Amino acid sequence: MKVRTNLLIGGTLFALVVAAGVLAPWLAHTDPIMDANLMNAELPPDHEFWFGTDGQGRDIYSRVLHGARISLTVGIVSQLINSVIGVCLGLSAGYWGGWWDDVVNGLTNLMLAVPSLVFALAIMAILSPGLTSLLIALGLTNWSYTCRLSRASTLSLKSLGYVQAAKMLGYGDVRIMATQILPNILGPIIVIGTLGMGGAVLAEASLSFLGLGIRPPSPSWGSMLSDARDQITTAPWISIFPGLAIFTTVLGLNLLGDGLRDILDPQSRARRA
Amino acid sequence: MFGKFMTTAGLAVFLAVSAQAQTETPRNGGTIRFTAPYGSSFANLDILTSNRAQDEIYAKALHRSLYNWDAVNKKLVLELATSVSVSDDGLTYTYKLRNDAYFHNGQKMTADDIIWTYNHIMDGAKAYPGARFIRLIKGAVEVEKGQAKEISGLKKIDDFTLQMTLTERVEPGYYFFAATTSIYPASEAVKADFASHPIGLGPYKLAEYVPGSRLVAERWDKFYQPGKPHADRVVISLMGEASARDVAFRNKEIDVSILEPAQYVAYKADPVLSKGLLEVAEFYTRVMGLNPTFKPFADKRVRQAINYAIDTDLIIKRLIKDKAYPATSWLPTSSAAYDPALKPYPYDPEKAKKLLTEAGYPDGFEFEWTATSNASWGVPIVEATIPMLAKVGIKVKIKPVEGTVLSEVVRKGDYQAFLWSLQTGPDPLSTLKCFSSATPQSACNYMLYKNQQVDALLDEAVATRDPAKQIDALKKVDAIIYDDAPVWFFNYNKAVLAYQPWIHGLQPNANELAVQNYEDIWVDASSPVAK
Amino acid sequence: MLPFVVKRLLQTAPILLAVALLIFVLFSVIPGTFASSMSDDGHSVLDTQVMERMNHELGLDDPVQVRFAKYVGQLARLDLGTSFRSRQPVATVLAERMWPTLKLAFTAMVFAILLGVPLGFLAALKPGSLLDTASMVLAISGLSLPQFWLGLLLMYLFALSLGWLPSFGYGDGGFRNLVLPSVALGVAPMALLARTTRAAVLEIMNADFVRTARSKGMSEGRVVRWHLTRNALVIVLTTIGLQFGSVIGQAVVVEKLFSWPGLGSLLVDSVSLRDIPVVQGCILFIVLFFLLINMLVDVLCAVIDPRIKYS
Repeated sequence: MKVRTNLLIGGTLFALVVAAGVLAPWLAHTDPIMDANLMNAELPPDHEFWFGTDGQGRDIYSRVLHGARISLTVGIVSQLINSVIGVCLGLSAGYWGGWWDDVVNGLTNLMLAVPSLVFALAIMAILSPGLTSLLIALGLTNWSYTCRLSRASTLSLKSLGYVQAAKMLGYGDVRIMATQILPNILGPIIVIGTLGMGGAVLAEASLSFLGLGIRPPSPSWGSMLSDARDQITTAPWISIFPGLAIFTTVLGLNLLGDGLRDILDPQSRARRA
Repeated sequence: MFGKFMTTAGLAVFLAVSAQAQTETPRNGGTIRFTAPYGSSFANLDILTSNRAQDEIYAKALHRSLYNWDAVNKKLVLELATSVSVSDDGLTYTYKLRNDAYFHNGQKMTADDIIWTYNHIMDGAKAYPGARFIRLIKGAVEVEKGQAKEISGLKKIDDFTLQMTLTERVEPGYYFFAATTSIYPASEAVKADFASHPIGLGPYKLAEYVPGSRLVAERWDKFYQPGKPHADRVVISLMGEASARDVAFRNKEIDVSILEPAQYVAYKADPVLSKGLLEVAEFYTRVMGLNPTFKPFADKRVRQAINYAIDTDLIIKRLIKDKAYPATSWLPTSSAAYDPALKPYPYDPEKAKKLLTEAGYPDGFEFEWTATSNASWGVPIVEATIPMLAKVGIKVKIKPVEGTVLSEVVRKGDYQAFLWSLQTGPDPLSTLKCFSSATPQSACNYMLYKNQQVDALLDEAVATRDPAKQIDALKKVDAIIYDDAPVWFFNYNKAVLAYQPWIHGLQPNANELAVQNYEDIWVDASSPVAK
Repeated sequence: MLPFVVKRLLQTAPILLAVALLIFVLFSVIPGTFASSMSDDGHSVLDTQVMERMNHELGLDDPVQVRFAKYVGQLARLDLGTSFRSRQPVATVLAERMWPTLKLAFTAMVFAILLGVPLGFLAALKPGSLLDTASMVLAISGLSLPQFWLGLLLMYLFALSLGWLPSFGYGDGGFRNLVLPSVALGVAPMALLARTTRAAVLEIMNADFVRTARSKGMSEGRVVRWHLTRNALVIVLTTIGLQFGSVIGQAVVVEKLFSWPGLGSLLVDSVSLRDIPVVQGCILFIVLFFLLINMLVDVLCAVIDPRIKYS
């Protein structure tokens, strides 16, 4: 029962945010970058500017909508990179074992030991701020959990009958991994991915706070929130709306992840059965 | 209603400033809770190794240099000497040194300490930023290169008389008031732990240093100015986050805070906080440097067009919240050679469009603009100009960088345009010398400026011995630069220091408002730490 | 157990070495130098001679392979080098900044454990109840706020509006100054711990051996006490160990906001000023700390649950 609530609320919130991002050009009132009018700077919310305007006189409502595109891109793409790296390394290490397993294990321990924010900070300082740098920095630093999980699941599946059968039939390693093992370990990985997306959205905000975020003037929620921190008393709406947007998205993703875990995770499935 | 309120707020600021200038009888005792706003740490406690404004904030408590800056009268004054005489050729200076200046170890300062310190700064194996100032003394370069052991231009006549021979006829005060030329005690400074136990001549001596958090200094009883310092101790907290400083100041945890534009407007509107604002026109000019090797910017008309196309006034009013003065040329309003007759480029997109068409860019062009994330001279400013420049067809691509990278690419000329805040004082001559074609780009001729007329006028300014003529020549240079527009003239900084009602004696230091002579500050009985 | 500890310690060495190399490679291609950082505030420019001399003095004008050889040589002698900025040994600089960060991280984790574990435990005992839903919503909300924003909000509420606590700084290192930053830092691990604890307890409640225990007629209270606690503890402990890493990472943000004089703010400063020896030292220290904590966790787990083998 709780399962449904999680999924329902989380899914709805996330779907709303995705819809906002996709429909941004049609929903937004103004262009998020070019329609700046300093005469309208720091206006509180009213019927014309639903969320008020920022220090540059830009419509915050429009920027939050367009910001959804950037923040979701950061969340989804960087997590996708993480998942692909994690699954490839974990699956192959678990399947082949041997020296390759040792190498992957070492790499995983290394990644686990360096806090991902510290790692991302270093990468951003080297690549200089921007969307691509951000995707690289966040995409390369957070795959260790996925990798560990895929490796562990692969190890337990490897000896099972149908995998052995596929081997007997002379299937290639890659084919076995892709068709026999991957589909069976996907559930938990999707769960981790959903949670990781939320983490990436938050990490973008932290990096913006440290001055190493997205390339302005593109609106990302993290940079909007971080830029508005000096105006939190004088013009609170400038930070409240991007803050709420981050909160809603990450909350949605976390609830969704929890809900999916209950459905997709084989252990919890067994529990319910 | 709103208008009336604004007027009262403005009046309150005015009253506050004049109250600050009034002389009341200073009270002794209490603690000054100062803040160092330019980062979350000091480099170390060896001020000779750092030229950052942040480190000057603590240096002013612990150390002193030969000269000091009189903030009220905007001129240089002797600090460690009582009088000076100049030879006829204007190159030899003879200083009568103070005989009542004591280092924090109780030792009396003599000419030997100054000579030792200046030689120490020229140590060719070490990179001391102050070397650029000491190099003015004859024979200093030889020491730097290792060809001599001691600077030949420095001569000790007796313990309290020092003779100094210069290589150029300039005002030495501009060189020897810098914190990077602070005087160290000759016998102590060679010790290995000097950097953690600094000994200086300043009004306060080090009591406690928690790296990354705060520095506490206690009153030095043998300080040479009679009756000073007033307060018993100074606590300097390291607070780089403006929003955190805002909370701490409102919470009365700190006594002073350098304000960002967002706080400036809020404090001005607040009936209580607005009474404690000290404003000063600093020697900083904020500009967009235009690289002449980028083809469009080689054309003067394009550079002028940019100045016409940007509504500078509007940006200053709405985005900087009037925490700046519109720039009329290179030299700021506080400068001795500032020419009030110059007027800023007006906002005139039509004229900009016309100039661009004449220059062969009727459809505009695109350029990359390198900037840091600074609120007053960084990316937010660039963002505000984007729609304005777009109106005349110019597209802007922002390249956000850290300050470290900015200072590197600008020096190497590896940019199309950059936005920076550059120190433009107090010495107008050395400031404008950056525009001499003989000055390399890596020094400070960042825009590779070249103009024969300017070169001639600068030579004239150096050669003349008549200060009025020198100022005149410099004003002419400034006017030519204005017309040539090697930059977009943005603004001169208005620094604002918020202070609690119990703090008195702050000085309007146009060099850097956060750098104060602590001995003049006093705390009245209403302070929570008045005891 | 001792051989296990020794083996784990030996495993630490290659990881540290790999991190050291990684950092070296990353920071040898970073734009900007320490010398160029000296004039990043536009305050006063360094002249070219001094900059060149500085690069020479710091060994930055050597070719990469020479610098690398020097660096490895130093590390082999357990020498972290000298800070460009403070001109002190990196070890001294780290020692000054280490305690504030450890204090902050431990307090944040204690806060997270004291709040998160009971919350998750209570939620799991009555799954689907109002308490369960409320505590999980609370936990997930804590996970969904950017740290610096949470910190700012705490600052405004508890320092400015209520006036209960100081808003910034280290003070005398006492508890009052520690509260706000450690709460800001501890909320996320608190939320994760609550979730993990709930899941772990639920998992074990339904596990076979508990059912067996129940069917054998052991009372509900004893079931809870005997099995749940021990098994859940292992999972929770592992989570705590892993969370230490991200807490230290997030300290970068929180320390900067609260002017806390720890490793995090030192690291951020050193990165932006290109004080590379300190950057290397900070990261190596953080990694070493993380590895040691997790080794400790593994040992503890084995003590609690003897079925876990040292592998």
